[in-house]
Amino acid sequence: MAATPSSKAKTFQSPNKTPTNMYRKSYLSPSSTSLTPQTPETLTPLRRSSRHVSRKIDLGNDPIDLPGRESIQEINLTPRKRTTDVVAETLTTPKTKKKKKIDVEASFSPISPNRSETITKKKKKKKRVYYNKVEFDETEFEIGDHVYVKRREDANSDEEEEDPEIEDCQICFKSDTNIIMIECDDCLGGFHLNCLKPPLTDVPKGDWICQFCVVHKPPPLQGKKLAKRTMREKLLSGDLWAARIEKLWKQEVVDGGCVYWIRARWYIIPEETVSGRQRHNLKRELYLTNDFADIEMECVLRHCFVKCPMEFSKASNDGDDVFLCEYEYDVHCHSFKRLAQLVDGDSDSDQEWNGGKEKEIDSDDEEESVCADSKSKRGLTGVNTKGRIFGVEKVGTKRIPEHVRCYKKNELEKAKATLLLATRPKSLPCRSKEMEEITAFIKGSILDDQCLGRCMYIHGVPGTGKTISVLSVMKNLKAEVEAGSVSPYCFVEINGLKLASPENIYSVIYEALSGHHVGWKKALLFLNERFAEGKRIGKENEKPCILLIDELDLLVTRNQSVLYNILDWPTKPNSRLVVLGIANTMDLPEKLLPRISSRMGIQRLCFGPYNHMQLQEIISTRLKGINAFEKTAIEFASRKVAAVSGDARRALEICRRAAEVADYRLKNNNKTAKSQLVIMADVEVAIQEMFQAPHIQVMKSVSKLSKIFLTAMVHELYKTGIAETSFDRVATTVSSLCLTHGEAFPGWDILLKIGCDLGECKIVLCEPGEKHRLQKLQLNFPSDDVAFALKDNKDFPWLANYL
Amino acid sequence: MPTNAGTSLSSYKHIVAIGTTVKSESLESAAYEIPRKRKMRSDSAAVSGNSVSTPKKLKSHRPSSVPNPGMSEKEVVEDSNEILRYPVNLAVSDCLGTKSKWSPRDEEQMRAVKEALHVSKAPSTILCREDEQIRIFEFVKGCIDQQKAGSLYICGCPGTGKSLSMEKVVQQVGDWSTQAGLPPVDTLSVNCTSLSKTTDIFSKILGEIKPGKNANTNSSPLQHLQNLFSQKQESSSSRMMLIIADEMDYLITKDRGVLYDLFMLTTLPFSRCILIGVANAIDLADRFLPKLKSLNCKPMVITFRAYSKDQILRILQERLRVLSYVAFQPKALELCARKVAAASGDMRKALCVCRSALEILEIETRGSTGPESQGPTPDDSVVRMDHMAAALSKTFKSPVVETIQSLPQHQQIIICAAAKAFRGSKKDATVGELNKLYLEICKSWMISPAGITEFTNMCTVLNDQGILKVGQARRDKLKRVSLRVDESDITFALQEIRFFRNCLL
Repeated sequence: MAATPSSKAKTFQSPNKTPTNMYRKSYLSPSSTSLTPQTPETLTPLRRSSRHVSRKIDLGNDPIDLPGRESIQEINLTPRKRTTDVVAETLTTPKTKKKKKIDVEASFSPISPNRSETITKKKKKKKRVYYNKVEFDETEFEIGDHVYVKRREDANSDEEEEDPEIEDCQICFKSDTNIIMIECDDCLGGFHLNCLKPPLTDVPKGDWICQFCVVHKPPPLQGKKLAKRTMREKLLSGDLWAARIEKLWKQEVVDGGCVYWIRARWYIIPEETVSGRQRHNLKRELYLTNDFADIEMECVLRHCFVKCPMEFSKASNDGDDVFLCEYEYDVHCHSFKRLAQLVDGDSDSDQEWNGGKEKEIDSDDEEESVCADSKSKRGLTGVNTKGRIFGVEKVGTKRIPEHVRCYKKNELEKAKATLLLATRPKSLPCRSKEMEEITAFIKGSILDDQCLGRCMYIHGVPGTGKTISVLSVMKNLKAEVEAGSVSPYCFVEINGLKLASPENIYSVIYEALSGHHVGWKKALLFLNERFAEGKRIGKENEKPCILLIDELDLLVTRNQSVLYNILDWPTKPNSRLVVLGIANTMDLPEKLLPRISSRMGIQRLCFGPYNHMQLQEIISTRLKGINAFEKTAIEFASRKVAAVSGDARRALEICRRAAEVADYRLKNNNKTAKSQLVIMADVEVAIQEMFQAPHIQVMKSVSKLSKIFLTAMVHELYKTGIAETSFDRVATTVSSLCLTHGEAFPGWDILLKIGCDLGECKIVLCEPGEKHRLQKLQLNFPSDDVAFALKDNKDFPWLANYL
Repeated sequence: MPTNAGTSLSSYKHIVAIGTTVKSESLESAAYEIPRKRKMRSDSAAVSGNSVSTPKKLKSHRPSSVPNPGMSEKEVVEDSNEILRYPVNLAVSDCLGTKSKWSPRDEEQMRAVKEALHVSKAPSTILCREDEQIRIFEFVKGCIDQQKAGSLYICGCPGTGKSLSMEKVVQQVGDWSTQAGLPPVDTLSVNCTSLSKTTDIFSKILGEIKPGKNANTNSSPLQHLQNLFSQKQESSSSRMMLIIADEMDYLITKDRGVLYDLFMLTTLPFSRCILIGVANAIDLADRFLPKLKSLNCKPMVITFRAYSKDQILRILQERLRVLSYVAFQPKALELCARKVAAASGDMRKALCVCRSALEILEIETRGSTGPESQGPTPDDSVVRMDHMAAALSKTFKSPVVETIQSLPQHQQIIICAAAKAFRGSKKDATVGELNKLYLEICKSWMISPAGITEFTNMCTVLNDQGILKVGQARRDKLKRVSLRVDESDITFALQEIRFFRNCLL
């Protein structure tokens, strides 16, 4: 790290860097620097023994009191010696914090005050002044530091008063700093060495577990226990947050003062991730998120220390506020990523950053956009605004309560809601036979004591309920697992379309089984060990594994090795793997190499297209209890769809569209219609919209000349019987048409342009290349379609004669 | 079942199968230790002309089920001897009556049968592959004896027991070398599909030879290996190495470099590799490595033929013999064996078919418990011919006719149009032409046709179903369409519907 002064010390903050980095260093090993409060515990080598050193964040206390002095120092590039500047450490209690606040704010700014003045004058409160380091409440905060952040405004007021810096002993409930405290590796409770029975004289090496954890009993609670929790306990129970400072800036406010803000990058505790606390999580483990928020400096309580695993294991005497962060957690995708040497990489980039743009003055306009998208779930941080209004406060907009928004829906609206494709139906009619077969297959495989690996291939055209059937089977099975009649299993669902490349499936499977993300080559190695050789991944032991691969055909690579591997595992003795593959193609196994289809087995399940009875049943079960559709309307829709594709999605869409059409119709002539139901005519309209290709609409709405042009093409086609014609001949026809019907002939170049426009719309296929008179043209759609589109034309009724 | 019973049992079978072709030396080897007396007896059994395929012989495996009048005295004695000799079967022989009391309702028994039939459960001995196994074993033994490298290529259809036999051979070699007092043979079994890169195989080999010394960055693992094998080494490291590359054809690269280098490793003067490649292609070495022949290091080839019906039947019986009850009718097994042997000779398929027949029976009995809860009739408690036939038809029948019948009407019209279009010498047409035909049919029957986009969608769906074949083209309209099913299938499928019958005439 940068304990040595960097040679790039050109900018005026860089002399300061040496000391700041020394602070950091001092956190890592407080005993090595003179800055740490010399409590007796710091001398003991094991970190659990030094609980109450936690106060040493206060030693983040820079002795720089006067900003003027600091800036002078910086400008003069005088290297300061930290050791000489050390002043007596003051115990900052929250009360004093509040009092001091204004002074502190006024007292410090690393850049010259004059300059910031001028800037703020120029643009009122539009400017932000960015810093690398800010002293606030006598504590120095720097970009990249980790801090505790208050969670809610209401919660902090009283708790802040009695925020214990030092944890109590779990036995005597006193916090005596003179006695060495030992930390239990299981519950993280602190114990005085002499309170233990038998008392210990020395901190033992290796893991030590307290007497309560040995018998799995919680330690006795005292009344004041809850009130007096340390910050670490609050954080790990979710009452506090930890964050990393990404940016620091000062913002002027209307009434003259200025407020310091930080952009915080949140850490979360394992309980807050989607997978919850896993068994491999350490007690002090945190995850770095990609969730940012701008918060006021006042919400920041004090420093904590988040370290990478290597440092964490080395950290011996860091007190209570040390946490481990090994993975980054994506709050949107809910995925984990290992941080690659967080500290090293960061310190490098920090240096560069420090050297490059050390203070940055930015207009607020640019910043607004950042604020707008940082709508994090933690927007409601305890920002103490006192009536002042900031743009950033939009971050925490309240959600409109559900009951305010929802008004009484009428039948049609209910119908529309239930017919949405996203709405999961309560039951799946017409697929009970297939579902039974899937259930029998899965149960037959996993119920045995020795789970025998098997494969099943499910195929069918789109919209026939393949995936939803499997998923609902799995849901039923899950209910049975919870009821205890089926032994637990793990279920991995993969969609082939969502994989970046077929090989990535290995890492996805491995991640689902173990929770760790590794590259696919490594994952393949691990999975081979797991399935082919029977080694277990971590603690996930004897559970059978069900693998559902949707869109299986996308996994076919050139030499098909991915499919081979996946289908080969179930044939191994200890695999306990059940593979369910779903695809559209009926003959996928036949298209594969014989060795793969041999391993795939013969279990096939076909989801045929729905016939009209089934579609009708599906729609009516969805609409059960809602009186919005005429029976004939449903039948009409289902018959129409069944005749063409048998796709249930399409049938639902048509019905939903018909309901919208009916809604519109009923609103327009309100009260005149006798029934409030969707009738056949509405369905007809919806089907016209759905099945009638867009080209008809386009042709109906093209310009008048284009219509004449198209008519001429159709006419030409009828006359010659040859699909292909040249522009020359079409133009001649157009001119003759115009002549006979008294229209003005527009001229060749305009006609050519019209031809090109139609070619752009792909209504007419033009010969590629330069546009010229002999260019070959061809209608892209059947002439009947053109005729249909142009027949009832009001502008030129005579067009129909030529069609 | 303890393995000792299995081995001796199967060695008996093995002699039946091979008869006099068995070399005496192999019998003396560790794996084939058979008491002389038994051999004599089984030989005589073979002489007596017991073909396994005959139902008479089949019955002999379950003497208790039906007393067979045709069974010779000798066989009865043999069978009872067999039972007495193997303590596991003793319990069975005690309660001969219970043996047939297998009921598909008993979940425990059902589970055992399914397990016995599962692909992953390797039998303790491999039937019907003794000849190949011995040849492989002899080859490896010869190489180890002479301390020279060699290469062998094993080919055969999927499901013919190649990988399984290799496992057994490795085991045998291990046993033999410890017995002969030779240093143990390093064995490396690689499935080439699980390599992320083809050249990884060399680093794997190197890692096996010199564990822990893989941090050599100067030379690639291949060069390292070549160096290693071209210099004389001290005798301490003179252990032979057996490399088994399963699914070897995955190593084929564009320039065949990896495969070539791999085989060339065995030709180096001080090489200690015994390379055994396993793959499906019969002529992999000939096709891809013609150069090897000129260098005189063409690998020896052993072919695993597809199983014949007798072999499949015997393997199935062997697997089921572990059970103490009868689950399958002998005729049913024979049917399965015949069908599978005729289709592919794939053992995995045969096992799958048996299992699905078992499931059919399970469903049937479960269904019958509801209405008639009183005692099940004894004859429905085993897998009969009809169950097996149903399972077979499920596996082997062509789904085309049913698929066509279940298609939506407009798609049927498209197929109909295609069948009409391709009736003559014409083999394919563009989507546009097919659409014209389709529109004609629709018009003549007063059906409102679907639009062109819808039509292309339907063609794609039919392509997915494997009924049409839609080629690639820049424009939808210009894609070429051809029919992938026979016209007679279409006619047969659609003849029920009057509309199409007239259409197709």
